[in-house]
Amino acid sequence: MPLLVLGIGNVLMGDEGVGVHVVRALQEEALPEGVECLDGGTGSFLLLDPMQRAKKVILIDATIDGSPPGTVRRLTPRYSSDYPQTLTAHDIGLKDLLDSYYLLGSEPDVTLFAVSIPVIHEVRMELSPELEAQVPNIVKLVLQEIHSLRSSPSA
Amino acid sequence: MARIVVDPITRIEGHLRIEATVENGVITDAYSSGTMVRGFEKILKGRDPRDAWAFTERACGVCTTVHALASVRTVEDALGISVPKNAELIRNLMFCTQYVQDHVVHFYHLHALDWVDVVSALKADPNETSTIAKAISAWPKSSPAYFAAVQQRVKTFVESGQLGIFANGYWGHPAYKLPPAVNLLGVAHYLEALEWQKEIVKIHAIFGGKNPHPNYLVGGVPCSINLEEVNAINSERLNFVGSLIKGAIDMVEQVYLPDLLAVAGFYKDWAAVGGGLKNYLAYGDLPTRGYNQPDSFKFPRGAILDRNLDEIHEVNPRDSEEIKEYISHSWYKYSDGDDAGKHPWDGETEFNYTGPKPPYAHLNVDGKYSWLKTPRWKEHPMEVGPLARILVAYASGNDDVKEVVGEALAKLDVPVTAVFSTLGRTAARGLETRLVVRWMKEFYDDLIANIKAGDTRTFNDEKWDPNTWPATAEGVGMSEAPRGALAHWIRIKDKQIDNYQLVVPSTWNASPRDGMGQRSAYEEALIGTPVANVDQPLEILRTIHSFDPCIACAVHLYDPAGKHIRQVKVV
Repeated sequence: MPLLVLGIGNVLMGDEGVGVHVVRALQEEALPEGVECLDGGTGSFLLLDPMQRAKKVILIDATIDGSPPGTVRRLTPRYSSDYPQTLTAHDIGLKDLLDSYYLLGSEPDVTLFAVSIPVIHEVRMELSPELEAQVPNIVKLVLQEIHSLRSSPSA
Repeated sequence: MARIVVDPITRIEGHLRIEATVENGVITDAYSSGTMVRGFEKILKGRDPRDAWAFTERACGVCTTVHALASVRTVEDALGISVPKNAELIRNLMFCTQYVQDHVVHFYHLHALDWVDVVSALKADPNETSTIAKAISAWPKSSPAYFAAVQQRVKTFVESGQLGIFANGYWGHPAYKLPPAVNLLGVAHYLEALEWQKEIVKIHAIFGGKNPHPNYLVGGVPCSINLEEVNAINSERLNFVGSLIKGAIDMVEQVYLPDLLAVAGFYKDWAAVGGGLKNYLAYGDLPTRGYNQPDSFKFPRGAILDRNLDEIHEVNPRDSEEIKEYISHSWYKYSDGDDAGKHPWDGETEFNYTGPKPPYAHLNVDGKYSWLKTPRWKEHPMEVGPLARILVAYASGNDDVKEVVGEALAKLDVPVTAVFSTLGRTAARGLETRLVVRWMKEFYDDLIANIKAGDTRTFNDEKWDPNTWPATAEGVGMSEAPRGALAHWIRIKDKQIDNYQLVVPSTWNASPRDGMGQRSAYEEALIGTPVANVDQPLEILRTIHSFDPCIACAVHLYDPAGKHIRQVKVV
């Protein structure tokens, strides 16, 4: 599995689950060979194995950073401390997962799509209309990333 | 007098806040607050009961299977469904997998660094570590060269200053007592356990189809058994499961247990700290003759009051007078007044946030101060978790438990009363893991024998069709999650969920006081805990981490401002 596309989030918490919604949408697309999409849910250390088996990882996750909801930033963080501060309300945090991933000697070849979401006030399964409208755009961005990685000589 | 605030308290990202009053170096009062909104019961109302497991399973990323198991049991209880023998065994194997992975991860990755000083490990002599390792275990990775390599690797990370895991500790704190060589042993096994835990959870993917969040099924398990079929549970997959179980037994018996006892030997003073409540509750689990036969459980059911190990009280989760949830200090309101106690079948989840606007210096602990409700058993606050399970089993005369407890007490040369402590809680978790891996092997052998005898049934479809259901039904599904007694209660009306309530382990342990002022387990356990340096309250972390806090399923959302206070504050 050269390329892992990993959506993280809790789908019980509305927009917080946007990463999972994006991956589910990507699973409907025709993807090049060697690309695996994984609904990481709130998967914590359970995600170490698929991350280690991948040569490159594209992460999609929510962040509460005060930007307008639906803002997407493409980041290539080196260490967990480079990740946005309030990323995720998952259990064993993404940062702990990434720290462990690096600690076990994996090269940090991670591209992160951080999706800004509003503060969450209620438990719900659906995305808010703003985020729902953004999903096709995020899917497009990730597909572009996949194709550029696949066509680059290092991939 | 200092009021210490620790927020978040979990080494992993969490949503638990502790406020503690320290006088003359000792905690005299403590408040535990869940700082995220709870209430995902709301999204279950009106849904198909057969789907509830898939929603509840998402409540937690750490114990991904436990809510699914409690949920399918709840629906099966309501509809009178019993599952085939193979399904019981496979569920038990999934359960044991969760335990052993979760407990090992807790010990090494969430708790060990409260006792193991990583920076001290850098000064260790790898030869000395090797000698110690060989003296306590037959585990093969024990050469001086191996420990030297680990030391070099960790040095690189610590010097980079970038890794949160090693950057955030209170290294050099006077409460760290291990010699450098033992610290290095702990750090080496921290790394090994991280690799190992990836393997064992493959059992979840084999029987549950995927990971994370494997599949469950009301009426059985969602896999078919056919020893010759490629896509079924076949001989090859079963052999792989067998080898993973063997690996788990080795890991627990040759690494986890020896390390636990070696570390505990240097911290015997913690056998007198952190005991807290004197009441213990276990629902019991690991059925061997059906879930309706609690006397067949490997972990027995029962309650202990006032540490009286001569008497086990029966527990009935259906009795509206036994388990009730209170909200006197919780940000909810009840339709008939906030002093009422509600049995979960009649539970209500109506938010009523009256706390300060975050970020805040202190909570108003005289009023409501937590998103956790306060559960009580016959009005008593109860501790749940490994210590409660071990004590209920010990007091019930369970031979397996008596054997492993007796061995550990003898090895550490401490009396049985030492178990009522922070150290006892941490030790109980390791001891039950040792039992669980052994039982896992038994379940595996039983499964193979049952299949070989020609029984491949994994699903009971008698009540799958909603047209076979009564107009109304109610059920309760209990389980022993790694963190303690977990139960779901359901009311089904017109084939839909009418009410669904969860009372999770961390709600029992981390909840605020009740209306009578009785503290719950975390708050009580902190009383009397020494704090050498209020700027570095390592001792608070030791006691709270000994419960393995996992607040994410107890509370479910960010605090209203989405803010997390990351530093320890002293006022």
